[in-house]
Amino acid sequence: MKRLVSTFALAAALAGFGATGVMAAGTGAGPTDEDLLKSAGNTESVLTYGLGPQAQRFSPLTDLDTDSVKKLVPVWSFSFGGEKQRGQESQPIVYDGTIYVTGSYSRLYAVDAHTGEKKWEYNHRLPDGIMPCCDVVNRGAAIYKDKIYFATLDARLVALNRETGKVVWNKKLADYQAGYSNTAAPLIVDGKIITGNSGGEFGIIGMVEARDAETGELIWQRPTIEGNVGTLKGKDSTMTGKLNASWPGDMNKTGGGATWLGGTYDPETKTLFFGTGNPAPWNSHLRPGDNLYTSSTLAINPDDGEIKWHYQTTPHDGWDFDGVNEFVSFDLKKDGKVIKAGGKADRNGFFYVIDRTNGKLINASPFVSKITWAKGIDVESGRPIYVDENRPGAPATGGEHDAKGTSVFSAPAFLGAKNWMPMAYNPQTELFYVPANEWGMDIWNEPITYKKGAAYLGAGFTIKPLYDDYIGALRAVDPKTGKIVWEYKNGAPLWGGVLTTAGNLVFTGTPEGYLKAFDAKTGKELWKFQTGSGVVGSPVTWKMDGEQYVAVVSGWGGAVPLWGGDVAKKVKDINQGGSLWVFKLPKA
Amino acid sequence: MRMALLVAGMVGTLPLGVPAVAAPVPRQADPLGSVMWEAVRDQYFGDAPVVFDDAVRVIAPAAAEDTRAVPLAVDATALDGVVEMLAIADLNPFPLVLRYHPGTSAPAFATRIKVQQATAVRGAARTADGVWHVSGMLVDAAGGGCSAPPVSYAQKDWADHVGEVQARLWPAGQDGIARLRMRIRHPNDTGLVDGIPAYFIETLSVRAETAGGTPELARIDSLEPVSENPVYTLDVRPPPGATALILHGRDNQGGEIRATIPMPPTGAQPAMSRMRDPRRSIGQ
Repeated sequence: MKRLVSTFALAAALAGFGATGVMAAGTGAGPTDEDLLKSAGNTESVLTYGLGPQAQRFSPLTDLDTDSVKKLVPVWSFSFGGEKQRGQESQPIVYDGTIYVTGSYSRLYAVDAHTGEKKWEYNHRLPDGIMPCCDVVNRGAAIYKDKIYFATLDARLVALNRETGKVVWNKKLADYQAGYSNTAAPLIVDGKIITGNSGGEFGIIGMVEARDAETGELIWQRPTIEGNVGTLKGKDSTMTGKLNASWPGDMNKTGGGATWLGGTYDPETKTLFFGTGNPAPWNSHLRPGDNLYTSSTLAINPDDGEIKWHYQTTPHDGWDFDGVNEFVSFDLKKDGKVIKAGGKADRNGFFYVIDRTNGKLINASPFVSKITWAKGIDVESGRPIYVDENRPGAPATGGEHDAKGTSVFSAPAFLGAKNWMPMAYNPQTELFYVPANEWGMDIWNEPITYKKGAAYLGAGFTIKPLYDDYIGALRAVDPKTGKIVWEYKNGAPLWGGVLTTAGNLVFTGTPEGYLKAFDAKTGKELWKFQTGSGVVGSPVTWKMDGEQYVAVVSGWGGAVPLWGGDVAKKVKDINQGGSLWVFKLPKA
Repeated sequence: MRMALLVAGMVGTLPLGVPAVAAPVPRQADPLGSVMWEAVRDQYFGDAPVVFDDAVRVIAPAAAEDTRAVPLAVDATALDGVVEMLAIADLNPFPLVLRYHPGTSAPAFATRIKVQQATAVRGAARTADGVWHVSGMLVDAAGGGCSAPPVSYAQKDWADHVGEVQARLWPAGQDGIARLRMRIRHPNDTGLVDGIPAYFIETLSVRAETAGGTPELARIDSLEPVSENPVYTLDVRPPPGATALILHGRDNQGGEIRATIPMPPTGAQPAMSRMRDPRRSIGQ
């Protein structure tokens, strides 16, 4: 008996030691609201999509710099497995020695950051009838407390226990059979998980929604199209805009404006920024008016979903320019003042600098070489100066019902001067690094009527590269002047996100399969690594065990091979894949 | 380390009067001669005492007609104080079919299971003294029940109907036992078919709706080998004054299953009160 008692004492002591060890490793409660708000300065983890709620994609780490980056070496690579090798557009989340990364076809993996060993995998059972327009991608997960979250192609939001991978809850966001889907990383602010939606090609209504991150219960909804009514705590709240102010008849009920890229959050002004997609249908002659709030940036109060201000980049969009591009908050230092600004590289070819407290335009300048649809943006009114003859013509009426309208050659192409791939802002160089593409399109309108779950375009199109030697161009844009400071030209279109660091570096991937590093001041290419398939994901960096790490997913796909027209010959020989690559700078 | 904790735990619990297992039960040879028995016993029963006992009745076909849906009934009503039941198919890639927690219900259930190849199929019942009573029979089968694509994969509209419940409750007999049968639309994918993720019902709980609350009558922890669109038959004991039964379940992807099962209409007759089929003797 005496012996048993002493064994018990030993066991208790060891159990206590074990608990302390767990706490020291930090696996306890997980990231808090405060941790997420301050995630931009956190070099030990990557807690948010965009490396901080403002999504500057800037890391203060300096171990890697313009000299040492040449010594960056791969540590391990993790395969997503299966035959589901489609576009991998994810940004990894890194926390407490685990990397959480999403894959094509609504898959989520937890991988040991040290070894690359899989901890668990969640493989969402997708219905046969999903309708993603632009490949079966996913752009990333969100982490909060003990859970990890991601949205799926059948328009559901899944919360999993981040240690075990067991599903905690699974909520329907929208009806996938009406064309809704979801590919963006969710955003978590003050215990709310905030999502947009996808499906702008199917005549859906764009929506921003907030749910309780613990339970998944809906808190508020904000439709992006005027005349539709939002909800707050289960009751109708306010109407978005004013009914029929900028939409004819009942076309606002199928008006598009999908918030398919998710949003960013500025803790200083306590404001959510969501870009809204193109109006539906593409044929603009069917919907005279500005078509608010499509092709816009909406500033939204995270508490109740009310719109604080909006800025419409392409009123009465007739080119599928969309306006969904991320709005990145930054401090604009100009004329001795610091202005709370935001930058947005729009699909329509202009780089906008906007006062983020009120939505007023500060300046707008082209970041691609050719823009045919507008001569410029009037800074006073904030509106484009249209080139009317570059709007594709109305389909012929009477007689030939299926006669297409006048075709025009327009630049940028509908895949955008910049598409989904997120840019980065470096507060040290005070430059934005924008992954741009130089292409145009023949576009014409066709008659169309709305049918649930069917493509609602009313347009035909084919994309053409503008130049023989390159389509992609990574450009450093000075937000003070709108000038392009340097550029890197790439043969295939750029389709991956950008990362910048205090080590004076810029990282991005190419469809040709390289992850590349550039000098942030000069654009000089310093390092590259061939990952085996096209890189269309967003790189991240963090520090672990005293060494700086870089991770990126590899796997060619996305909208270009599906919609790229003439661009196909530049990308047809790229092999598909699906893997996570991790690099580090070894200790000296 | 773990051993020490276990010993310490036993020291702590003994004075509370929990009956300790009396004499260790010697390991018996498997009457079915299954090559997997030793592994199955270690995995699912651990160090608990196991006896082969005819009191547990297992009913299944001698040869499976459809390896994706082989009927299986396990009846332990001949034993007193059953707290948990298992169904096991030894040679399945996932041998454990389900765990049944009968609660206030009769210790008997029936369902349909996938069988990957000819195998011993077992039923086990744990009595309050901690002893597992095991019985079983051999089911001959052509291969592939667990790894062949499910029928629903070919049905484009499975997602429209997933989680739908068809159920019937028969009136209680004189013993207070009422037959409940339910069928749930669900692909119940094992994850072994190439390109189809694991997607199966994990938990099912049957409660009674009464003026005083919703007491649980029975609970099933269901697993991959249960057939597509699973069917479960239970003998529940609805409390007096029950106005309906409530089924609440969840699949491994967080999908919710909810149904309210009405009490039987007046004039309905009780179902056959016994699951066991007197025409088939279960081989030991």
